[in-house]
Amino acid sequence: MDDFFFSLLLAGVSVGAVYALIALGLNLTFWTTKTLNFGQGSLMMLCAMLTVWLSSQGIGVALAVLGSLAVVAALGMFIERWTVRPALKASGGSMGWVVSTLGFGIFLQGMAAKYFGSQAMAFPDVVFSAQDYVTLFGQYVSLQYLVVLAVAVALILALELFVRKTVWGRAVHAVSLDPELALVQGIPVRRLVLGSFMLSSILAGVAGVLIAQIGGTVDPAFGFDLVLLGFVAAVLGGMGSSFGALAGGLVVGILSKLVGGYVSTAAEHGIAFALLMLALAVRPQGLFGRPEVSKA
Amino acid sequence: MLELRGVTVRYGAVRALEDLSLRAEPGGITAILGANGAGKSSLMRAVSGIAPVVGGSVLLDGQDITGLPAPARAKLGIAHAMEGRRLFRQLTVEDNLKLAWSFGARRVALPASLAEIYDRFPILKEKARTPAGLLSGGQQQMVILSCTTIRSPRCLLLDEPSLGLAPIIVQQIYGFITDYAARSGITVVIAEQMATLALKVSRHCLVLRRGRVVLQGPSAELLQGSDGKALAASYL
Repeated sequence: MDDFFFSLLLAGVSVGAVYALIALGLNLTFWTTKTLNFGQGSLMMLCAMLTVWLSSQGIGVALAVLGSLAVVAALGMFIERWTVRPALKASGGSMGWVVSTLGFGIFLQGMAAKYFGSQAMAFPDVVFSAQDYVTLFGQYVSLQYLVVLAVAVALILALELFVRKTVWGRAVHAVSLDPELALVQGIPVRRLVLGSFMLSSILAGVAGVLIAQIGGTVDPAFGFDLVLLGFVAAVLGGMGSSFGALAGGLVVGILSKLVGGYVSTAAEHGIAFALLMLALAVRPQGLFGRPEVSKA
Repeated sequence: MLELRGVTVRYGAVRALEDLSLRAEPGGITAILGANGAGKSSLMRAVSGIAPVVGGSVLLDGQDITGLPAPARAKLGIAHAMEGRRLFRQLTVEDNLKLAWSFGARRVALPASLAEIYDRFPILKEKARTPAGLLSGGQQQMVILSCTTIRSPRCLLLDEPSLGLAPIIVQQIYGFITDYAARSGITVVIAEQMATLALKVSRHCLVLRRGRVVLQGPSAELLQGSDGKALAASYL
């Protein structure tokens, strides 16, 4: 295995892990409401920007990250209450949430550009600096890459355990299948939906901080492409499946880095969407998705 | 005891229930009869908290629950088996039961609750790991009924439990319901289109037409008495 291939593979795995986190965040709101928060990208950006700003005000980096996560969590609840809930209430089967969540994301992006400026800002070292590395198979591997991968895998395992093993996980699944029946059975549907948007936003924030850490800079436009790639990962893996999110994220990450390295960096994102179209044509339920079972 | 006082339910401009009052006593079955669209389901939805009640009040054992959201009412002990055989189709039979138990009163431990149900409906034990949506209509109805009783409710609302089932299955289902009502002594309200069947098992009966009560009284009287004609008329 030559060094070039290995380094591409590694970069692919690590950005793939971030795509997986974004996909996981999209999955969370899909579980409870069958909606996706297309403002996710702006939440990622905002979390990273706020971290930069807070730490520039003399606050410790760890505290700055926690503070920014709290802000995006609150925004997540705001998004559910004021952009998704009204859109779902409007005449049955409305897709208004696509526009309203996307719109709110664009609004956040505009606000960030106004108050933080549209220049890229250098992102502080959160856990390790870009110079820290370990040797693996005779290769230098940046510790940042490993941290990103570990965080993604840990969160995915935790969520999968939550959904499969706990009563609340089962309740979340029930809400997605039939919210009215869930209500009548005493499941606090409102709180679960609100909670899913909050957690989804926190995941977006974590993904934002991690990818800013890898890239080294953030700017207001950052996040928009990322959420699209996260969406591709989610669909490829099977919308709603946590392991699917991880697999989809890694496939998209590795493939786009390989194409970027051997063909052209301009084709990096293109290949992801080619993959999306292929997946929808050949296996619409995704790698880990299950087709719906039902009998009249 | 369940009590409705002048309840009005409106969907947009359509009135589903109009100034409706009723008392359903515990320890016996109250039947709600009426044709399609008479307001039977709306009545039940008003009690469980998923219909837009614009006037009147709903009381459970004297406590006004009109302002409470559906999950809070479920917690107080209202169990509603909705029309159209509603269950979580993608979840297994056992997951449906476990979920219902988890958010119910939990008066009996889960293993004992499940054992009791499997004892009553052995077929459900066989199908415990099958997605509920793949069961036959009768088996699904058994799951739905079990999901309500496993919650140890104080008030049971059953919306057309006989709908679309073979007569022999209907008999079995109704056997279970009357048995459960007698054993538990709770308030049971059944909405039914099959009038004779409902009158036979119930103690008290109300006939709805266009969201109003047009006839009510002890079921035995309605079944044989001079009201037979009035009963038939309310369906026309």
